[in-house]
Amino acid sequence: MNPLALSLILTTLLAGTLITMMSSHWLTAWMGLEMNMLTMIPILMKTTNPRSTEAATKYFMTQAMASMMLMMALTINLMYSGQWSITKMTNPVASNMALMALMTKLGSAPFHFWVPEVTQGVELTPGMILLTWQKLAPLSLLYQMATYTNTNLIYLSGLLSILIGGWGGLNQTQLRKILAYSSISHMGWMLIILPFNPTLTLLNLTIYIMLTLSIFMILTNTFTTSMSSLTLMWNKTPAMTIMLMTTLLSLGGLPPLSGFMPKWLMIHELTKNNSIIMPLTMAIMALLNMYFYMRLIYYSSLTILPSTNNMKMTWRFTNTKHTMTLPTLITLSNMLLPLTPMISMLE
Amino acid sequence: MMYVVFIMSVLYVVGFIGFSSKPSPVYGGMSLVVSGGLGCGIVMSSGGSFLGLVVFLVYLGGMMVVFGYTIAMATEEYPETWGSNVVVLSAFLVGLLMEVFMVMWLFSGEHELVGFYFSGLEGLMVLGEGGFEYVREDYSGGASLYSYGFWFLAMAGWMLFVSIFITIEVTRKRY
Repeated sequence: MNPLALSLILTTLLAGTLITMMSSHWLTAWMGLEMNMLTMIPILMKTTNPRSTEAATKYFMTQAMASMMLMMALTINLMYSGQWSITKMTNPVASNMALMALMTKLGSAPFHFWVPEVTQGVELTPGMILLTWQKLAPLSLLYQMATYTNTNLIYLSGLLSILIGGWGGLNQTQLRKILAYSSISHMGWMLIILPFNPTLTLLNLTIYIMLTLSIFMILTNTFTTSMSSLTLMWNKTPAMTIMLMTTLLSLGGLPPLSGFMPKWLMIHELTKNNSIIMPLTMAIMALLNMYFYMRLIYYSSLTILPSTNNMKMTWRFTNTKHTMTLPTLITLSNMLLPLTPMISMLE
Repeated sequence: MMYVVFIMSVLYVVGFIGFSSKPSPVYGGMSLVVSGGLGCGIVMSSGGSFLGLVVFLVYLGGMMVVFGYTIAMATEEYPETWGSNVVVLSAFLVGLLMEVFMVMWLFSGEHELVGFYFSGLEGLMVLGEGGFEYVREDYSGGASLYSYGFWFLAMAGWMLFVSIFITIEVTRKRY
């Protein structure tokens, strides 16, 4: 893309999310979400094949429908309460519709169908922006609306997301679809803790974004998009293969890595509120996610598939991809667990 | 007189069904014009005469005209109308049936009517109290877009500017 057009579009993408996150009026929040959606489309269509055009079209259709529902919810809220503030959506019709619209924007079940298809249809970098940056604006709105949301809908959607994120990812060999189902599952965890302690939603979001950014950047650096390319990664960059292993274990929520921190604190918070069956179900369903991460780790780091001898000695070309923030992100995504008492700074 | 708003909103929805059943854009554009005109009528009967006329001028007179010209350039020899394809016709009839059911449900009287109090316009006004203001609301709203709400105007103008770049990027030749 022309650098001027790309910088304009990326600036507007940034501005859209920031406008939504900074707003207390529903109209400006909706405006920021629309800016996000519109400027995401050319980013998704950066490659010139029909697959990415189809992915951008699906993205546009679902997100435009969600924006329409959100607009209807906020006008119903205006009709019944006469004010535009996000934190006081007292009318249940408006609150439910806004919740469903924001869940569609996030990609939680039962509105999750667009996430794997759109993520698979685009390159790794737009997929990374889709799964990390685009979650910030709707979750900031949900964080503000948390007190008046319908808890039944949140638990239903959250549990369904964890189930679908787990079971859906089991049969996948393409890494972008695996990360899409992982995103659906993590959105489920973030939604469930929202009525109990919204701070933990933000903590989970932060750690999830760090982990997903690390994984996407490792994949971008080694040009791997499917599990068969993963088996050749040990030859090109052995260090990144090890880091992929630890980051995937962290994404699955294994102690002593940082991904354990949000899951532990969330289960703790749920049991403090006398809810036992739900965190038990959530923890067991997170094992489904762990299974396909383990499969990726097995094929990338723990096994070397049979190959001829001259494939085991590669000529080391210089890496032309930028790895600027990758060491920091990998360190943060693996070793943050001892800093758990610092979450009081998020309150 | 109060029924006019109701009839206009029912016909507004019927116009939406007309283009949602996906005929050719030539006929869809005509249905959009009908819906736009009726929507303008609804806005005007709630007291916003200025904004209704703005809808007519800008939406119907600006955007739909440009849309109509581009459709005329890109149209096909036998455009699909509501009667030519059984799929389009059945989609239209299903939508129409749903609208009829909704109107019948609204008048069945078993529940509280949502905003359709035909005694007056009180159910449709937002702030409830009525009374007379010294400044008309629609004029002052349009003016405050340029005074208090200038950041809204700036963002709207910025998004129109960026959407040109987006459209050019999306419609670029793809080999």
